[in-house]
Amino acid sequence: MDSGASRPAVVIDNGTGYTKMGFAGNVEPCFIVPTVVASNNSFLNQPRPNSTKNSNWIGQHNAGVMADLDFYIGEEALSRSKSSSTYSLSYPIKQGKVDDWDSMERFWQHCIFNYLRCDPEDHYFCLTESALTAPESREYTGEIMFETFNIPGLYIAVQPVLALAAGYTTSKCEMTGVVVDVGDGATHVVPVADGYVIGSSIKSIPIAGKDVTRFIQQLMKERGEHVPPEDSFDVARRVKEMYCYTCSDIVKEFNKHDREPAKYIKQWRGTKPKTGAPYSCDIGYERFLGPEVFFNPEIYTSDFTTPLPTVIDKCIQSAPIDTRRALYKNIVLSGGSTMFKDFSRRLQRDIKKIVDARALASEARLVGEIKSQPVEVNVVSHPIQRYAVWFGGSVLASTPEFFTACHTKAEYEECGASICRTNPVFKGMY
Amino acid sequence: MILLQSPCRYLLQVLSTRVQNLDKGVELDSQWVEFDDVRYHIQATVKNPNLLLLSLSLPTPPPETVFFGGLPQGAIEAIKAAYGVVLQVLDPPRDGYNLTVKLNLSKLPPDEDHKQAFLIKIASIRELVQGAPLRAVFKQLLSRGVKSDLNKIISLVHRPNESFFVFPQADKVTVIFPMRFKDSIDTVLATSFLQEFVEARRTAGLNNAPPCLWSSSPPKELEGSPDEALSANGGFVSFVIFPRHVEGRKLDRTVWSLSTFHAYVSYHVKCSEGFMHTRMRRRVETLIEALDRAKPDSEKPKNTEQTRSFRKLSIKDGRSNSNAK
Ligand SMILES: Nc1ncnc2c1ncn2[C@@H]1O[C@H](COP(=O)(O)OP(=O)(O)OP(=O)(O)O)[C@@H](O)[C@H]1O
Ligand SMILES: [Mg+2]
Repeated sequence: MDSGASRPAVVIDNGTGYTKMGFAGNVEPCFIVPTVVASNNSFLNQPRPNSTKNSNWIGQHNAGVMADLDFYIGEEALSRSKSSSTYSLSYPIKQGKVDDWDSMERFWQHCIFNYLRCDPEDHYFCLTESALTAPESREYTGEIMFETFNIPGLYIAVQPVLALAAGYTTSKCEMTGVVVDVGDGATHVVPVADGYVIGSSIKSIPIAGKDVTRFIQQLMKERGEHVPPEDSFDVARRVKEMYCYTCSDIVKEFNKHDREPAKYIKQWRGTKPKTGAPYSCDIGYERFLGPEVFFNPEIYTSDFTTPLPTVIDKCIQSAPIDTRRALYKNIVLSGGSTMFKDFSRRLQRDIKKIVDARALASEARLVGEIKSQPVEVNVVSHPIQRYAVWFGGSVLASTPEFFTACHTKAEYEECGASICRTNPVFKGMY
Repeated sequence: MILLQSPCRYLLQVLSTRVQNLDKGVELDSQWVEFDDVRYHIQATVKNPNLLLLSLSLPTPPPETVFFGGLPQGAIEAIKAAYGVVLQVLDPPRDGYNLTVKLNLSKLPPDEDHKQAFLIKIASIRELVQGAPLRAVFKQLLSRGVKSDLNKIISLVHRPNESFFVFPQADKVTVIFPMRFKDSIDTVLATSFLQEFVEARRTAGLNNAPPCLWSSSPPKELEGSPDEALSANGGFVSFVIFPRHVEGRKLDRTVWSLSTFHAYVSYHVKCSEGFMHTRMRRRVETLIEALDRAKPDSEKPKNTEQTRSFRKLSIKDGRSNSNAK
């Protein structure tokens, strides 16, 4: 078959929590599945055949082969591990970085053959990585993609850059901005100028979606809601995704809830996984306290107490001075945990407050001199921000320049895995 | 996962989501490609949430294989018989596709189980279209009446510009696959996989499976076929299908397994490569651990993160890498 440039590229954004996968040119990923692998380890501890004279070697060999094929990913993995103890779960990505390459390889295998059902030899691939990934990690990715899957070409894009590209599908593509990527395992604030990440100014926050879920789980437990413990994390996550919102002022919000509980308190109904008996519980303050951990982290942890708006401001202040105005003007949200209602509005208001306070202070110092132009703060939010990274990949990978920016299998064979260490930022990004 | 399933997972998901949310039908326009270069395109509008346009494109046939009206022989009849009023074939199909059909979701069977089964059937449209000629051959094998076109080789496309061959006889049908691979490692792995596959057929439990043969040169049935059809770097696999292999409900499964045999082999070749890499990485890790243990304490790296690359298997590399950390 010809090499894959005539077919749409495969775009896979592997996140700590969810993997978004699909084909370039579409507006939505085909599948969004939890990044988890359930493998059958009942075969694993059996002794390996050490002599072929052993009459049963074929049986043992087959058992080994079956174990290698007997695994699941995504929702299927979660339900298998719930219903049977022979499967154990592994999460190949931790805090945005690949942690277990064996599981990762298996995960990709199922993404390609079982979900997308495509032949990897037929397609160029666009994968993503967090802004802080080590170059070695890219090499392993290249190795697996080229050696195991024989793909014709590979581009590994930096997630925030793709998130920026996602916002500009129309005429002009402005590749300067700050990406606030709040996923499941990590929050990164990444300034980008003309498509290049300003590496020295990247700020990370150890609070992301998983922490919000944990916090909600903890709040519900402390209030004595009767959620079966083995289910409580999952319930907390669903509660978070369905009912949480960002408030503008905690104290006022508490009052609102107390005045009109009927309006604000929601009910959760579920069945106990063991007995199947139905149960229900209330959802109250956690609706707005969950997302509040980004604005007042001290309510959740004492290890990290800088609010997200302050981190964003610090990030921009540490970037080169000539880019700052453009950065304030284009603060782009990306990732599932920015989906809370009114999240962008609160963020914009809080950053604006910091910026205005600074302007006021400097004006006071420079009395009589020319008034500085006010700084425009703009937090951009769009409906696809849940999978903005994937969408950016889809847009870029459908430009003709994409195929020339990819590393090809021939180059890989010529120079080795080290070519994967860098990928050029290409014209399609402007 | 051992076998490739016949319903397209994504198409099934699109259809199920659509059926569940008919009241808030959204705009839909999506295209994707499956193994062996089968392409799909699906489209729907907000205005008519019940109507979906589904297009399918098949791999381009090589010169020795003929399509009838742009489709494998018997495909249109098979579609009409299988889907009835739910589906209407549009002529001509959308540009660049072999087939475009209009699905009317309001005509689906009302009860949930039947509806779900029907959606699975729609998601398997590829099996129906691509497998139509093979299914016809097997139906003839099962029938007691007069048989036509015996002892003549038929070629059926299964990958872009590549065919497999069917040789019908009165009491059996021989199906022959030229196996071609792009990558040299793949070719080696596939050849040994196929030999083992044939070997496995001989074990006691598989007595009823179709007899199967592998040879590096074209089998005699292919005599007289064009040269391009006879070159295959992975050799030739043939299966002999008897009526018992295609009786009743086995027919669909056999047709699907044969139509996707090449994809099945490539999938397993990729899996084995993956597993070898896993083993190699493990080996590298134990080697590096052994090296680290052998070092005097002062030299031990503080960072325990190691290189897991199996490409760097050599001891020298292993040492220099762990020293660098
Ligand atoms: N509607 C929603 N409201 C709030 N949170 C949501 C919503 N949808 C998803 N999430 C949360 O977003 C997180 C997943 O986001 P995303 O897919 O961007 O993360 P990821 O890419 O897997 O992780 P990372 O980028 O950290 O590696 C999960 O914690 C999930 O619970
Ligand atoms: Mg992410």
